[in-house]
Amino acid sequence: MAELTLNEKRLLAALAEVKKTDAEHLASVLNATPEAVVQWGHLAEDKGLAKVERITKKSFEYTEEGRKYLKNGLPEAQLYKKIKSKPDSKIAEFQEDPAFKIGFGQLRKNGLVKVTENGTIQLCEVAVRGDDYIPDKDKGHAGSIERDEASLKNPSDKDPKTKEFIKRGILAESETVRYAISITPAGLALVHQGLDLREEIGTLTRDQILSGAWKTASLRRYDIHKLPKTVYPGKSHPYQRLIDEMRQILLEMGFTEMHGGIVQSAFWNFDALFQPQDHPAREMQDTFYLKEEAPLPEGWECLRDMHEHGGNTSSTGWGGKWNPDKAKQCVLRTHTTSLSIQYLVNHPEPPVKAFCIGRVYRREAIDPTHTPEFEQLEGIVMDKGVTFRHLLGFLKEFYQRMGFEDVRFRPGFFPYTEPSVEPEIYVDGLGWVEMGGAGIFRQEVTAPWGVTYPVLAWGLGVSRVAMFRLGLKDLRQLYQSDLEWIRNSPVHAPAKVGRKA
Amino acid sequence: MAIISLSYKYLERLTGTDRETILKRIPMIGSEIERIEEDHVDVEFFPNRPDLFSVEGAARAMRGFLGIETGLPKYSVKPSGIKFTIDPKLADIRPCLGSAIIRNVSFDDESILSVMALQEALHWAVGRGRSKVAIGIHDLDTVIPPFHYTASPRSRKFVPLDFTKELTLEGILAEHPKGRDYAKIVKDFPLFPLITDDEDHVCSFPPIINGERTRVTTKTRNILLDVTGTDQRAVNVAANIICTAMAEAGATIESVEINGVAAPDLAPTERTVSVRECCDLVGVELTARQMAGLLEKMRFGAQPVGTDRVRVQVPCYRADIMHDWDLFEDVAIAYGYENFDVQIPPTFSIGKEHMATTVAGQVRTILSGLGYLEMMPFTLTNERVLYDYLQRPRSPHVLHLMHPISEEYTVVRTEILPLLLEMLQVNRHRELPQRIFATGDVVADLLTTQHLAAASTHPAADFSESYAHADAVLRELGITYTVRESNDDAFIDGRRADIIISGKKVGIFGEVHPAVLAAFELEHPVVAFELDIRAVPGYPSH
Repeated sequence: MAELTLNEKRLLAALAEVKKTDAEHLASVLNATPEAVVQWGHLAEDKGLAKVERITKKSFEYTEEGRKYLKNGLPEAQLYKKIKSKPDSKIAEFQEDPAFKIGFGQLRKNGLVKVTENGTIQLCEVAVRGDDYIPDKDKGHAGSIERDEASLKNPSDKDPKTKEFIKRGILAESETVRYAISITPAGLALVHQGLDLREEIGTLTRDQILSGAWKTASLRRYDIHKLPKTVYPGKSHPYQRLIDEMRQILLEMGFTEMHGGIVQSAFWNFDALFQPQDHPAREMQDTFYLKEEAPLPEGWECLRDMHEHGGNTSSTGWGGKWNPDKAKQCVLRTHTTSLSIQYLVNHPEPPVKAFCIGRVYRREAIDPTHTPEFEQLEGIVMDKGVTFRHLLGFLKEFYQRMGFEDVRFRPGFFPYTEPSVEPEIYVDGLGWVEMGGAGIFRQEVTAPWGVTYPVLAWGLGVSRVAMFRLGLKDLRQLYQSDLEWIRNSPVHAPAKVGRKA
Repeated sequence: MAIISLSYKYLERLTGTDRETILKRIPMIGSEIERIEEDHVDVEFFPNRPDLFSVEGAARAMRGFLGIETGLPKYSVKPSGIKFTIDPKLADIRPCLGSAIIRNVSFDDESILSVMALQEALHWAVGRGRSKVAIGIHDLDTVIPPFHYTASPRSRKFVPLDFTKELTLEGILAEHPKGRDYAKIVKDFPLFPLITDDEDHVCSFPPIINGERTRVTTKTRNILLDVTGTDQRAVNVAANIICTAMAEAGATIESVEINGVAAPDLAPTERTVSVRECCDLVGVELTARQMAGLLEKMRFGAQPVGTDRVRVQVPCYRADIMHDWDLFEDVAIAYGYENFDVQIPPTFSIGKEHMATTVAGQVRTILSGLGYLEMMPFTLTNERVLYDYLQRPRSPHVLHLMHPISEEYTVVRTEILPLLLEMLQVNRHRELPQRIFATGDVVADLLTTQHLAAASTHPAADFSESYAHADAVLRELGITYTVRESNDDAFIDGRRADIIISGKKVGIFGEVHPAVLAAFELEHPVVAFELDIRAVPGYPSH
């Protein structure tokens, strides 16, 4: 049984003495309004502890007209008396009388008067005798002038004349409702068991806490099965949370975070990474070029030599002429590898472990799987003694920590790494999915800056991981997010990407 | 990307093994299987390995990789006695030429298509869309040697491939589909490259189109190859790849004398490399003999020299071997990426977050605490959204993309608030209140810096809320500031304030102007603030 409120208990306690009474009485006992008492009664009735009866009673009130008649008599009675006292008078003698219009109509309707051909008004036989009249064509009830007067004084819903008076606007009918509340045997039993009639507290107040009143107070119990209102906390974006998860892994592995500008010269974005100046990826249809130019850094001549003939390495270079003007053009970075190479230039001594997750830009039209800007996870390890085997080890560890148990490696090709590798992860329902590129920076990339130890490097897709982890079908949701999606994306969202059977 | 169709029947014949073995192993040589069909497989090879862009080339590599036939493939070249002259006037137009005579070919319709596919893939990967290298293949028996590579007047006429009437060279650029596609490569030169035979029949107008006269058909038995371009190394590689692929198919190769030099030269080049250096790069311990064995699987010639050296013969079709490490990668591929005992890098270091992301994290903590949800809008936008809708003047510092993909994305954002208003517009049917924020890069001139912006919309949003929230963020970020009446028309006069540090404006807050709300189709009041995060004490400058 649901909990009784204090008010229900008080009601039952009051009823236990009288067994049955009306709401007004209970209201005065319980110091409440009758409406509240009835509401408590209904609550107790729902639990089978009380019974509420609705009792209606009609009462009649005189209208203004009715009060006048009560004092002066009904118009027909007044007129009747006047005609009786002046027999054989012409009708015209009464026409000025205020009671005439209604009175004459009533008398004639009830067959009590008639008008002769010469305009004399006469009482009918019935009226002379003082017998009961019978109205024309069942227009009313039989009666007599004398009894009608009595009916007016004592209206009753059993008296047909009362209804007629209501119709005539002499009386007004009103209905009053009262409630009788009684206690059931179950209710009585409950009272006999004893009720806790202490005051119930909704919100605990400062005073109650300080005064110690809470010790004796009864705290209202809540219905825990009633659902709460849905509220949403402020929070970071689901994609940002995933990015932070990746950053956390790299930081735990001891990497230093890099940070850098969106706008890069073609020198750092392409040339420093040994991309030949006629490489297709450098063309306008793939890269966002800006009309601005940036000056070449100190030492650019070494890079020119590397492109033209391989500098002082075992490389042949690309041959041809390297054009410094092409390298000055500014682009929106097409990869964050432009930050890695600059970081190496500033930190040429081992060991270096650095990473960043940042936006990169490709000239792609927007559709569910392409956006012109997206995140890349970039990283490098430069140290004496690191090898391709360690690069694979890092990649495997990273993806397994992200929840992708099965990782494999395929040869890849990138102009600035050798050897190169494309890591793939196994995703339920999709199979092996390529996740980005990695490799060891070519000597043509590192030698111009005096970097002599191997540099393991990778640029991994971040939005792809997000799509698998967040279960998205459309990349645009990451950048043009529906608020409802963010509101309903739980902060704790562990990996559930499955593993290869 | 170069996607090559490999017919199983031909591939199985050339490799001498079954299709299952090939399909299983081919990704591990460096490729991606695009589609597996009934009678063929479409495979994508990397652009640095144009020698794999034919069934013959792929089969040659797979024979080695699967251990069926290893070591250097040998191709013999006999002199044909045929000469080819080059007009010195081509020096500034298209100076480089490669050529060969290929005899005893037997074509059916399918193999003609296959050669054309190889030619197109080479045009893409080596030829940079024909500008650097273009290839012509002719029926040798329709023309009379010697051949002449000349700079011709633009009025010269001949019948181009797929046409029945003569056109001038200029006419071809205007009327022939290939002419229209590639006109940009030659149109600025006064004279055009042309290859003719000794009777002045036109073989081709490189890099645009061949002549109809020398069309290769199923009756063709002997071929004249011409490769023209601007880079001799690339020209030679393209010629070598075609010649060796045809030789793999059973043809014999004969050389042509170009200005006294025999072409093609299908001899390997040589490199001697260090075993130690290879092991240190790849991370696998190998002897010189083991390393040579792995290189042979990749179709190099390789002989151990002592314990630490291997002498390597690089086949003439391997354009990608520029550096010793290119050979070491092939050692790793032959070893098998799946066979590596992988290991985490041993380098010890202590991780360090960049202060910019530390502060971004603090911004997220503070705004989450105030009940805001994070958004991550694009950094690309347009000047309508960025300035016009906000009743702000267009900034002279905004960066314009030279070739935008659409009118929606033409500039890099200089502020974030306009993007947030756009997010509110996207979400205007969602439940109120809505409080959103974003933090990230903005760019003015060439400098990337970071901003944060926040917006709140609900029926009771007012100036006091924006002031209270901006103040909370500034306090929590440790920023001491003053305010001053703002004149930013994105906000309502009398309900807007600039955030000032040392007399300099670093941010703004207030009630967004109703005209701005109308521009973004918003129906409820929006209050907002934006802050240049460089205001945070100690924030790094790049």
